[in-house]
Amino acid sequence: MHGPTRRRRWLRATALAATVTLLAAACGGGTAEAPEDGAAPSAAGGDTDRELVIWAGSQTPITANFNPFNAAGVLHLANGGIYETLFAYNKAADTEPVPLLGTDFAWSEDGTELTVTLRDGVEWNDGEPFTTDDVVYSFLNEASKPAYLADAVATDDSAVLLSFDEPQFTNEFALLGATYMVPEHVFSQHEDAEDAEAELSGIVAWPNAESPVGTGPYLVETTSDAAYTAVANPGYWGGEPAVKNLRYVGIDSNQSAEDLLATGQVDWATMFVPEPERIEAAGYGYLNTPVDPTVLYTCANADLGCEGDQTDVAVRQALSVAIDRGQIAEKAFVGLTADISPTFALLGRDDKWIADGMPAAIEQSADADQAGQILEDAGYEKDADGFYGKDGEPIELTLTSVDGWSDYNNAAKLIEEQAAAAGIKVIASTVSWNEFADSRTGGEFQLVMGGVIGTSSADPYQIYRDWFSGDYTTPVGTALEPGFWNFSRYANDEVDAAVKVAAGTDDESVKADAYATVQEHIVHDVPYIPLVVNATQTFYNSTDYTGWPTEEDLYLFPPAWQGPTSGVILGNLTGTE
Amino acid sequence: MRFYARRVGFYALTLWIAVSLNFLLPRLLPGDPYTILLARLQRSGDVSPAVQNSLRLLLGATEDQSLWQQYVSYWGNLLRGDLGVSVTQFPTPVTDLIAGALPWTIGLVGTATILSFVLGVGLGAWAGWRRGSWVDGVIPSTTLLQSLPYFWVALLFIYVFSVELRWFPIIGAYDVFTFNGPELSWAFVGSVLYHAVLPAVTIIISSVGAWMLGMRNMMVSTLSEDYVMTAQAKGLHTRRIALTYAVRNAAIPSVNGFGVALAFVVAGSLVTEQVFSYPGLGKLMIEAVRNNDYALMQGVFLMITLAVLAALLVMDLVHGLIDPRARHRD
Amino acid sequence: MTDQPTDRPEVRRPARRRPSRDAKLVVGLAVVGATVLFAIFGPMLTQDPRSSDNPVLVPPQPGHWLGTTSLGYDVLAQLAEGARGSLLVGVVAGLLAIVLSLVFGVVAGYARGATDEGLSLITNVMLVIPGLPLMIVVSSYLEVRSLWVVAIILGATAWPGAAVVLRLQARSLRSRDYVSAARVAGESTPRLLGMEILPNLLPLLTAQFLFAVVLSILGEAGLSYLGLGPNGSITWGTMLNEAQGGGALTRGAWWWFVPPGLMIAVLGCAMSLINFAIDEVIDPKLRQAPTAAKLQRKARKAGLDITSPAHDDDTPRPAPASRAPDPDDHKERVQA
Repeated sequence: MHGPTRRRRWLRATALAATVTLLAAACGGGTAEAPEDGAAPSAAGGDTDRELVIWAGSQTPITANFNPFNAAGVLHLANGGIYETLFAYNKAADTEPVPLLGTDFAWSEDGTELTVTLRDGVEWNDGEPFTTDDVVYSFLNEASKPAYLADAVATDDSAVLLSFDEPQFTNEFALLGATYMVPEHVFSQHEDAEDAEAELSGIVAWPNAESPVGTGPYLVETTSDAAYTAVANPGYWGGEPAVKNLRYVGIDSNQSAEDLLATGQVDWATMFVPEPERIEAAGYGYLNTPVDPTVLYTCANADLGCEGDQTDVAVRQALSVAIDRGQIAEKAFVGLTADISPTFALLGRDDKWIADGMPAAIEQSADADQAGQILEDAGYEKDADGFYGKDGEPIELTLTSVDGWSDYNNAAKLIEEQAAAAGIKVIASTVSWNEFADSRTGGEFQLVMGGVIGTSSADPYQIYRDWFSGDYTTPVGTALEPGFWNFSRYANDEVDAAVKVAAGTDDESVKADAYATVQEHIVHDVPYIPLVVNATQTFYNSTDYTGWPTEEDLYLFPPAWQGPTSGVILGNLTGTE
Repeated sequence: MRFYARRVGFYALTLWIAVSLNFLLPRLLPGDPYTILLARLQRSGDVSPAVQNSLRLLLGATEDQSLWQQYVSYWGNLLRGDLGVSVTQFPTPVTDLIAGALPWTIGLVGTATILSFVLGVGLGAWAGWRRGSWVDGVIPSTTLLQSLPYFWVALLFIYVFSVELRWFPIIGAYDVFTFNGPELSWAFVGSVLYHAVLPAVTIIISSVGAWMLGMRNMMVSTLSEDYVMTAQAKGLHTRRIALTYAVRNAAIPSVNGFGVALAFVVAGSLVTEQVFSYPGLGKLMIEAVRNNDYALMQGVFLMITLAVLAALLVMDLVHGLIDPRARHRD
Repeated sequence: MTDQPTDRPEVRRPARRRPSRDAKLVVGLAVVGATVLFAIFGPMLTQDPRSSDNPVLVPPQPGHWLGTTSLGYDVLAQLAEGARGSLLVGVVAGLLAIVLSLVFGVVAGYARGATDEGLSLITNVMLVIPGLPLMIVVSSYLEVRSLWVVAIILGATAWPGAAVVLRLQARSLRSRDYVSAARVAGESTPRLLGMEILPNLLPLLTAQFLFAVVLSILGEAGLSYLGLGPNGSITWGTMLNEAQGGGALTRGAWWWFVPPGLMIAVLGCAMSLINFAIDEVIDPKLRQAPTAAKLQRKARKAGLDITSPAHDDDTPRPAPASRAPDPDDHKERVQA
């Protein structure tokens, strides 16, 4: 009976998610029009003392840590609830960024300078004013300064200029939507923090556990192993939040969380629930915002050392055609997923980036005949057992998924069955998390069921660069470097060139042309076999609170674990009574 | 005295081997924490360079040390009572995490184990004494209890009693929706007891049958032994025979087993703690192993190792006291 | 359990009769036999347990007597295939555990000296290494955890407890008079072990084996629950794991979650019943004493025993059950 628990599904959807942010795609650059006054509480309801209980994915024991630079340990409230970014970007819909501590920003023509105008009259919750010095410090300190950032200087009392050596349109989100503003007068005291045991030093080693000083809508009240609580910040620049008390709890399994939702003990949670109707029936609002693609990683590039039949593009194409995505979505993902585009643009949000002549959604049903045709054209023949092969060697592909991720395990089993029906032998097996992590980063795999990070704004650029370009991969046997996601080892000079063109421009038509080139290649070469866009299900107590993002007003990406947007949403809530 | 010296020496040697193995085993696991955490973060969403920078600072520190250097400093720290800092629960020292989890595990699993032992041995002795009666006849049916998959029962219990009937809580060792951490109040104590009921009941259900059966069989055997009969022939009072001769002798194997069971209390019941989200050592261990959190893993392993060894030593010594033959032969 | 022995028709049986040895044995053997038959023939009679070509999550009905899973697998077919897997794991692990505990327990307990120290050292080290990381280390080196691998891991980590118990018992037996007498009489060690020690350990050994089988089946289920079960195979444990992962209970699919657990419990119970009966065959005291006690109690109630004390609880031990507890006699009977 001694063993680690099953890999719980919610872990991948939630753990630490609020702490991590993407270097987002540029969204056209230029000047964002800042709405009048940011995210002031809406007037729909009134103040409420009812404690809002949130599960953002924390497990017990909870360790108090409100340092946004400590990605591994920071608690969800810190990102958005206590510390804020300059703007909040919407991953769920193509909307303008919500101004937070910044009110306006402008790119220089060539993309090497970004000027940000700051909000006036903001104070840290210890009473000190929020200044340009804090912003400069937040960008340039050791723990947060990105390599591409050349310098940050204050141009006047309320504006900061970020400068770069190369055009950085594409890093707008990383700079404005994912860099948390911290008080220099507090954090600079802890630059020498040191932890000899963990061999850590610098700001990251500082837990910031006692009364963290931020600009956000909430103040930390208590912390314990099992939960932490927060109260409304009376001096919040957007006005004191109407929901006065928050409680973030630690829950250790998806099943427990679902049970707690069903019994009405948690007010806001984002997690996979196979039958959301049951939770809705318990009086919850429910929003499903699929953004992250689920695919089969294939180790596609024999030149970089990939081994196996999937290095033949015909095999990848045939397998893709042989998959019955409708059945997978229905049975393995309980019908909660969205259709995926083979171009990896998010359907609905990114439609404008799908080039003419490219299919929008990928074919949902299987076509075994076409799969066979593709293989026969490529010189494969069916053997006595009904499986295709070459030179007497049947195709045999091992498809791994992480044990316990039941939707993935189930999808893999279905693919094994569907592929067999088309004469392709796929063997589905499960592996531990460790093996999964090792094999995909080292390239020692044939097929792996995995996820692709959906981009944080309405532009697929980030996926094209990080997942498809040859600059973001390494030979098999060499672990990918941080920030590289090209597990498939796919490398195509034309794709790489097009990605570079897209990075250096804020001209939409130039970018669209570059994307057309990228899409043409990746749709043909299928280094990642697209399956579905996975569900992101958020449940919220709409009986006692209003102001949540809804289907009609999807003003921000709604997950409870997502920073900084969860903080903005909290500031936006009101009680119904 | 020589008997005791030998036993202590023996356990000291075992301790050394076990500690060394504890050191080596976690390092034989594939993967490194940085890669694993990064991969996990990637599944959760987006990873900015700033985050990656700080992750490297956090997790990539010890790679330049040789295994031997790590081993030496491991022992050094161990002897200072210093078990390092957890990476996943950064920056909490491992000792704090263990200290936080230990009372819950000992409290829940320990109490349940003792209750189960007392209940099982008591009922077993009674059934053995009343061998052939209806009490004895119920014994075989208890085998069903010990054959139930523990987590299966626990999950059913949660579904029925916590979710459907809402009689008992779903998670935690106390009401995490009310209390801001442990406190000294009757309300809190009540909450702790309330939260312990369901987990304890499932532990007892799954373990009581074994105690009962073992004790009953030993009791029946013992009652047929010469010395019990002699005692009877001498006309000793039956209650005295039951307690002094039969139960005392019949309980030796059960007491031995109890020592082992107590030793493993500290390992927690992984499955119990997992199903009920009970904040004990077992759950800590699962997280540590999953995240290659070396320091935490070693700390928890060490705790369990020490506890098991100590309990076995005590058991051996007690055995020497109860059964002098064992001592003299050594 | 309702099987009524027919050997003493003249005695009217009380309503709450203790199941006799025969009843326990018959029930135990019947259930185990039925399970084995189910494992052998079930998969031939049911549909392909890996075919998803069915409607999903249908409740029990004709054609799907135990309903289907969320992927459309037939639960009955999976249960039959799972019986094979679980039995294989249990028996292999049980055999391995018992062989190892014999070597490390009995030999150590009897041999003493350096051999004892050496073997006990290994036993104790094995005992204190938490099983979980050991299993993880071993299984992570193996790309595929087959049924056999899981069985071997379970068996290889399950023996130290039994070995400790056996060692203590063997050590205690060794110091008994009749063993000393045989030793003084010049019997060789292997002969002593085989003729004097082992027969007396048989109840314990048998119990430990059946116990190890049940424990391994349960252990496999537990490992599967924690995500460390055999991959690529169907066992009752992996079925439970999938049912749990698929939210079977919360989705009302009891027919998916309940049967595998119940099968494990019933099989385990049946083996324990056999264990029970075997215990009584090997050690007649377990059977004869209760029977004798019962007869005496009955006789006393009928007024035949003039010495009976006032309280039933204080019933003196009955007259020795038909024979003197002579160890040599005991040994011969066991060998017979």
